[in-house]
Amino acid sequence: MVATTSNTVPVTVLTGYLGAGKTTLLNRILTHEHGKKVAVIVNEFGEVGIDNQLVIDADEEIFEMNNGCICCTVRGDLMRIIGNLMKRRHQFDHLVIETTGLADPAPVIQTFFVDEDLRDKIALDAVVTVVDAKHIQQHWDAEEAQEQIAFADVILLNKTDLVNPEELAELENKIKGMNKMAKIYRTQNSELSMDALLGVQAFNLDRALEIDPNFLSEDAHEHDETVKSFAIVESGELDGEKLNNWLSQLLQTKGVDIFRMKGILNIAGEDERFVFQGVHMLLDGKADRPWKEEETRKNELVFIGRNLDEAQLKEDFRQCLV
Amino acid sequence: MFGVGEKSKILYQQQWQGNLSEYVTAVIWSPDGILAASSAAGEVVLWQDGSLINLLPAGLASIDCLAFSADGKFLSAGGQDGKVRVWKISSDSLVENQVNLISTLDNTSKWVDKLSWSSTCNQLAFSLGRYVQIWDADTQTVVATLPFTNSSVLDLAWQPNGENIAIAGDGGVKVWSTKDWDDDPYLIDMPSASIVTAWSEDSKYIASGNLDNTVTVLEYGSHLPWIMRGFPGKISNLTWSQSLANHAPLLAASSMEGVAVWKKAIDDQDGWDARVLTLHNDKVQALEFHPNSLLLASAADDGWLGLWTKAKQVGQILEGAPHGFSSLAWSKDGQRLAAGGRDGELIIWSESKRGRGFG
Repeated sequence: MVATTSNTVPVTVLTGYLGAGKTTLLNRILTHEHGKKVAVIVNEFGEVGIDNQLVIDADEEIFEMNNGCICCTVRGDLMRIIGNLMKRRHQFDHLVIETTGLADPAPVIQTFFVDEDLRDKIALDAVVTVVDAKHIQQHWDAEEAQEQIAFADVILLNKTDLVNPEELAELENKIKGMNKMAKIYRTQNSELSMDALLGVQAFNLDRALEIDPNFLSEDAHEHDETVKSFAIVESGELDGEKLNNWLSQLLQTKGVDIFRMKGILNIAGEDERFVFQGVHMLLDGKADRPWKEEETRKNELVFIGRNLDEAQLKEDFRQCLV
Repeated sequence: MFGVGEKSKILYQQQWQGNLSEYVTAVIWSPDGILAASSAAGEVVLWQDGSLINLLPAGLASIDCLAFSADGKFLSAGGQDGKVRVWKISSDSLVENQVNLISTLDNTSKWVDKLSWSSTCNQLAFSLGRYVQIWDADTQTVVATLPFTNSSVLDLAWQPNGENIAIAGDGGVKVWSTKDWDDDPYLIDMPSASIVTAWSEDSKYIASGNLDNTVTVLEYGSHLPWIMRGFPGKISNLTWSQSLANHAPLLAASSMEGVAVWKKAIDDQDGWDARVLTLHNDKVQALEFHPNSLLLASAADDGWLGLWTKAKQVGQILEGAPHGFSSLAWSKDGQRLAAGGRDGELIIWSESKRGRGFG
């Protein structure tokens, strides 16, 4: 999935509640003169106002891969429709998938990890979540609202004209507590530069950890939210086997609660950085560029999830050090 | 893998090559030896003995599926624009003014990517989201709308004896009796989605290729399916061989770049034995048994079209689509083979006189 050859088509997954401004954003993407041919897959209630052969209606159809495990669900409709679309891929060079307001973004992402036909041809670019700054408060406790924020690489804090600056600052802090990996943009009418939306490459492993350095060094804040993000930073070398055992155990037992994870690791005996990222139980990793001479070799991991025991995870990770 | 001597054998030789403007989505032969082909640019063409007729020009929306009626008098096409078009072919040989569009069923916003004619009457089945509609060419009306319900329809197949139609999707295969469309379908229950389904020519067995990397085979009427495992990925293609004397037909399936052929053991309880065919190094896009021998054709993204003698060894490798083959079809008499390519190549081979007797 993370192949970075030019043959792969980047995909943006667009989430957010009904009325948050997704359709406005879609129409912007479709009409903007960005020189890209964008194909858009909208859900059945989509109201994209543009007559365009590259706007395709889809029903969100969740297929279970493996006995009802949440981590093994995929979007059957996307496998079929994108399979059909890929037959003529020189006709479009970016794909945008809109999900319904009540959808969990995970099955969409997992489809691109799991499906053999898509994983080599599709490169997930970013999950973009549009948040209605005024109405999100009403939905704050809803699972799908938390998932949409937790999975995001880019968050549009939209309709900022409808709330006062204090409310906005508080909201932004709250979102940062849940997901510090995401870039947050304050917008009105979903107005945002296309560079910030398309071609973000947030899912590209080579850029997996372009994380705000402050985030990694910052002490974890205490939040009341059950969904939160935190980082583990440790110097030292990792025992490859111990790490493997820990990760597979972790994904098996906590996969449901881990929404996303990313990391750069220093494995004993390896000259290259090892980079990985995961969605629920699915993990994708590879050897990256060699460590530079002047570089301090260290391990950096970021977790976003629900009910994660940060202290325990940190302790378990330390046990993997040589 | 295969001997050098085998490779040089000529079973089929190229007879004709043409080009569509885009990825060839489907190729199919009529009983009268007319070839139809469609493309991702929306083209539909007919070919016979070197002459070509354009039925639909290149446009914006793709045509993804084609089918001839059993008597060869009707051709239907479905695609991204949701329209199902039906042409009537009034003569046995290809004459332009004898091919007329007689009906266009408009199903806006649904992508029609599966359609098939009954082999016993002029009824057409096509996918329509979570439904399959049955359209009768004689009365030119929709006679039934079958609700698959669980998911969009992923494949459909008429039983060759005309008694049933099988519809594949999430949760398995549902089989409707053609005698009473309102009757509840029989469910062949599966833990994941059925992606492709195919009946054996003798109507006895039904196979399903599944999302969870398995193939299910049921002797229709029995309630205990066989389940075959060991595939590297989801199943993309299924094909049954001709009927064999005193033995169940062979079943071939492809998954990613792999092809496997199953032969049923004498005793039901021993299940089916697999043989893996190794040749391709990229996804197999089409797989079809010759209509009256055990010659198996596999066409793949690697640009190779493999002909497997007795469904065992590579007898010949055909080329002509450097960026990959996308589709293939045997003519009904087996004397011709057509294939389409990713870049619009359309190639026809005919049986070699030299090779005859050795296949």
